[in-house]
Amino acid sequence: MRILVVEDEPTLSSQLKDTLTEAGYVVDVAMNGKDAWFMGEVETFDLAVLDLGLPLMDGISVLKKWRDAALDMPVLILTARDNWHEKVMGIDAGADDYMTKPFHMEELLARVRALLRRTGGHANAILKNGPIEMDTRNARVSVNGVTLSLTSHEFKVLEYFMHHPTEVISRSILTEHIYAQDADRDSNTIEVFIARLRKKLPSGTIETVRGMGYRLA
Amino acid sequence: MNARKTAHSFWSSLRFRLLAGTLAWVLLTIVVAGWGLNGLFQQHIMQQVRAELTLHLNQLLSFVAVDANGNVSVPHELSDARFSQPLSGLYWQIDQQDSQEQTEKTGLLRSRSLWDNVLPTKGIGSARAALQDFTITDTEGSVLNAVGRIIQPEEESSSPLRLVVAINHDIVALPAERFRNMLMLALSVLAAGLMVAVTTQVILGLRPFGKLRKSLTDVHEGKTLHIKGDFPAELEPLVSDFNKVLDVNAKVIERARTQAGNLAHAVKTPLAILSNAAAKEQTSFSTLVQEQVALAQRQVNYHLARARAAAAMQASSSRTPVKKSLEALIRVMQRLHAERDLDIKLHLPEEACLFRGEEQDFQEMLGNVLDNACKWARHEIIVAVVADQNEVIITIDDDGKGLPEIQKDQIFQRGIRADEKIPGTGLGLDIVRDLTDLYHGTVMTATSPLGGLRVILRLPLLAWG
Repeated sequence: MRILVVEDEPTLSSQLKDTLTEAGYVVDVAMNGKDAWFMGEVETFDLAVLDLGLPLMDGISVLKKWRDAALDMPVLILTARDNWHEKVMGIDAGADDYMTKPFHMEELLARVRALLRRTGGHANAILKNGPIEMDTRNARVSVNGVTLSLTSHEFKVLEYFMHHPTEVISRSILTEHIYAQDADRDSNTIEVFIARLRKKLPSGTIETVRGMGYRLA
Repeated sequence: MNARKTAHSFWSSLRFRLLAGTLAWVLLTIVVAGWGLNGLFQQHIMQQVRAELTLHLNQLLSFVAVDANGNVSVPHELSDARFSQPLSGLYWQIDQQDSQEQTEKTGLLRSRSLWDNVLPTKGIGSARAALQDFTITDTEGSVLNAVGRIIQPEEESSSPLRLVVAINHDIVALPAERFRNMLMLALSVLAAGLMVAVTTQVILGLRPFGKLRKSLTDVHEGKTLHIKGDFPAELEPLVSDFNKVLDVNAKVIERARTQAGNLAHAVKTPLAILSNAAAKEQTSFSTLVQEQVALAQRQVNYHLARARAAAAMQASSSRTPVKKSLEALIRVMQRLHAERDLDIKLHLPEEACLFRGEEQDFQEMLGNVLDNACKWARHEIIVAVVADQNEVIITIDDDGKGLPEIQKDQIFQRGIRADEKIPGTGLGLDIVRDLTDLYHGTVMTATSPLGGLRVILRLPLLAWG
């Protein structure tokens, strides 16, 4: 799951990046409104954490431009502006959630998880698919009640599958959601992760759709 | 109360001063003029009467004949026919004084018009040859104006004679009275005309003030942002200066809001960084930092909200559509509490109503109360709006577990939180009370029929529609 953090304060943006990375997300950071707008339009993100007071272009304008460009990723506004009038403006501009600073990282993580789940149409923190259960709160995966041990990349690939069940997912989509913008991307490594996951999961869980990509059975 | 206030405002009004001042002078001038004119006319009439009487007296004097025996006679009729007409009001009479016996014989000779009457002229006039004016009251009580003269006939034997010509005062008074009546009528018409003119002038002249007052009311009620319309040259500078003040005021408020927002951003971001950094460690120092950050955050929130509210109240109040604002807030609540599966119902009156105040303040009050209800509700929240002539009553019910009586009074007090575990600053609800106080509204709590807490907000209503 790839998250765009838009925050102009360097210390806070690196804190956010560290916490979200630790929680197993792939994080890109934009330090001003114009970069955020550009990155949101050209890259694919599963969620954005957006500050409102930004240099070059304010957060509300960025959000409106994203929505005008039909970008429907969930957006969590994280701002110091805490009056209800601004919350109304933020939500009406197309935000999905609104948090005010200072905040607890745990609450931010909980809200990020909830937003990702809601976008995938899941109401519960635990994602289920056949015998596979994934607890998004603590990144634990079990098959028939037996806990699996997964590397972080394996977890990220499986998480994307769990959030988009029955969809055919191409290697390039997986690459976009698993690597940060500046990471060294190699779509062949995706095949490696798929192969490893297939060994750990019951056979037939991830099927190959020829010429298209993969699908969770 | 209201009538007294209106009466007071009339007595101290410009209209009253102008009217009272002008009318007092008009009345005074007219009374003095009337008195003067009447006096002049009376004087003129009296002079004419005297001239006429003197003329008759002189004729009578020339007709008086005294023979050698001292017998007095008037052989000719006087030229004025009224002397021969009985009780015509114009009379003459000749009295004879007896100097030896100190007696006198009044009515020795009289005009025919006197008939049987005798003018009571006894003892009147003494100096010889001097023409004298006097008034006589006859036996029947009528007043007569008279001119008399005492003469000594050339015949030594004859006693002095008093010649009197008199006219009934009523005859003299009649034209004077007629003139006075006409004068009073004319002056009354003049006074009435002047009063109408003055009143019209004052009302027309002061009409722009009424218009200005209505414009100011519109500004106060938020119907317009400026005083609009054309005003007389004397008022125009005042109006444009006032509009400038309104502009400056609006700018000051906008600046205060922006500065409050900037300050919030400037202070809260470092606080967030500090608190996040401290959360990573498990030392007593990090606990202290976390606690102090939380405290600082509360203080910043509280004072920022107060500053915003104060800025809002200095502004000329605007109007906020209740329906639109509540619907926007409910949209926000449904997003912010999307995990909670809440059912928020909104009951509105048939007609749209307007809250008399800033939309930001309205949303701040209702947002905090609604957010609190959403945090505590199990499933259902009902927002009901009822409005009467002067206020809008908004009731927010939730089906949560409610609050013990003792806490119900406290939740709107500063810094008291019902439960530290529920996320939020705990400052939202005391701001609600501060804001309702500023708007002369009230906020109360009760037990909801749904089982949870009921919060009742009463706020000033601007108008329907």
